[in-house]
Amino acid sequence: MTRNDPIKHVFIWPALLIVLVISIFPLIYSLTTSFMSLRLVPPIPPRFVGFGNYAELLQNPRFWHVAWTTSVIAFIAVALQYVIGFAVALALNARVPGEGIFRVGFLLPMLVAPVAVALIARQILNPTMGPLNEFMTVLGFSNLPFLTQTKWAIGAIISVEVWQWTPFVILMLLAGLQTLPDDVYEAAALENASPWQQFWGITFPMMLPISVAVVFIRLIESYKIMDTVFVMTGGGPGISTETLTLFAYQEGFKKFNLGYTSALSFLFLIFITIIGVVYLAILKPYLEKHK
Amino acid sequence: MSVRALKGNGRWWALAGCLLWLAFTFFPLYWVAITSFKSPLGVVGGPTFIPFVDFEPSLSAWNELLSGQRGQFYNTFIASTIVGLSASLLATAIGSMAAYALVRFDFELKLLTALLFVIVAFGGYLIGYNLLGLRQGPSLVYAFVAALTLAVGSSRVRLPGPVLGNSDIVFWFVSQRMFPPIVAAFALFLMYTEIGKMGFKLVDTYIGLTFAYVAFSLPIVIWLMRDFFEALPVEVEEAAMVDNVPTWRIFFGIVLPMSKPGLIATFMITLAFVWNEFLFALFLTSSRWQTLPILVAGQNSQRGDEWWAISAAALVAIIPMVIMAGILSRLMRSGLLLGAIK
Repeated sequence: MTRNDPIKHVFIWPALLIVLVISIFPLIYSLTTSFMSLRLVPPIPPRFVGFGNYAELLQNPRFWHVAWTTSVIAFIAVALQYVIGFAVALALNARVPGEGIFRVGFLLPMLVAPVAVALIARQILNPTMGPLNEFMTVLGFSNLPFLTQTKWAIGAIISVEVWQWTPFVILMLLAGLQTLPDDVYEAAALENASPWQQFWGITFPMMLPISVAVVFIRLIESYKIMDTVFVMTGGGPGISTETLTLFAYQEGFKKFNLGYTSALSFLFLIFITIIGVVYLAILKPYLEKHK
Repeated sequence: MSVRALKGNGRWWALAGCLLWLAFTFFPLYWVAITSFKSPLGVVGGPTFIPFVDFEPSLSAWNELLSGQRGQFYNTFIASTIVGLSASLLATAIGSMAAYALVRFDFELKLLTALLFVIVAFGGYLIGYNLLGLRQGPSLVYAFVAALTLAVGSSRVRLPGPVLGNSDIVFWFVSQRMFPPIVAAFALFLMYTEIGKMGFKLVDTYIGLTFAYVAFSLPIVIWLMRDFFEALPVEVEEAAMVDNVPTWRIFFGIVLPMSKPGLIATFMITLAFVWNEFLFALFLTSSRWQTLPILVAGQNSQRGDEWWAISAAALVAIIPMVIMAGILSRLMRSGLLLGAIK
């Protein structure tokens, strides 16, 4: 039902104004500076360069490297989060013994500050004093370079992402599972469908819309990853774990190269938009099939 | 017992999997908790796992933290609490109102009006800054006011072209989250500095930080609350409308009390977001209104790997959220978050 009443403007304007004020300035500012050559240190007068910043970035191998690293981290982390999160949500929904405790415990990581998480991860992954090293030594691998060798470091960042954000997937998918109607499962049980068949025939298709939304949110948020990497590896060794946001940070606040940074952030935005559009386009036929 | 409950062996496999995941989830938290009670020597001497058995707990890290040797700890905690609570309260209030309006009323916005707003805002800023020689701050304010006035005025006129509806407006709100936060944070810092030159100090003030957090929480609040309101039965409101109860009383007297669980959940999710936020706090505060994540991150860069102190500081940031997780899961169990997504 919708109705008309002038009071609706009173309801919506505060939110609209606040978001407008705070979003239009970053937009105007960064879009205009992205077409200029603007440095704060050393201060040089701004100069219009058109698409110069963009062209320079697209030719910079570092940009492509950083975009690739970010994509690897985002896609692997989100895939793991989704698989583990779905499995845990199914178990909780099926009244696994002790699910009350599990629910509180599984929620926790999501609420811990990413900065704190990264600091804890650094302690645990410490190659000499950390508990993980102790464990690996028992297995016969001592002093592994968890944070100082590219493959290990990317793996470590992905594990931290999975640790922190799987709870979000669990929370959302569990809420979705609880809304599924019981009668479909009763019918399937009468037909002697195995749990495996029930999952692929009923649960998964009916959960598809929520799954798509959850993965979409996680993917976009993962691309913005910054504080975790910043604290854990600082982008190192070299630039091998540097992500897009960290690259922007280095350019903007170490080198104060503002035009370049702004152009970078718009490329970043375009990049995310393309991934989002492609993702939704690929999944659309499946979504409509199951409607 | 539900038809979907596991039977036989599957139950125990599921339990084993859950226990494994629980161990993975809890170990880091357990580790940070025991490390905060280790003495400096106990940390450097290699990993130890169980208090009183393989190491002797010590309160030295906590003493240092609470006596203020590690930075303005009390101030930071109080600042974090005040900003967190008020920003999430404001965002929940303002966002719920907007979400309710977007669920129950029709909004129409001409595409041309929206375009006009963007063009005038951009053009006005560029003209003011480049041609009229105004500073960035004033030219932005003038451009914004002009754009808004023109847009509101133009919505009175019948413009041709496509019309944007409620779902487009919701999408616009949510899409604000896609913008890379690093740019928004830096641009906001510049905007605050410019406004500071006009006489309103916003950098490192309560108002500046809270305002930024309210604005960046609103998209989440609107998105979550819209689903809660959509799940409410409309009949109650219709009955009230028949009795000529004004809309604002329907909202405050009927709708809000009915959606209390949703409001609490949204409030807590927003609070967690604000409490843990790092980037905006880094740019928009310097001393007086610094928040906990900044203090925690600073522990590492100032003194190096003093894990006992870092752990104690991290725990202070974590514990309030742990308490909240308990409350949130209570809500979850009673099925109150069901309407949160669809």
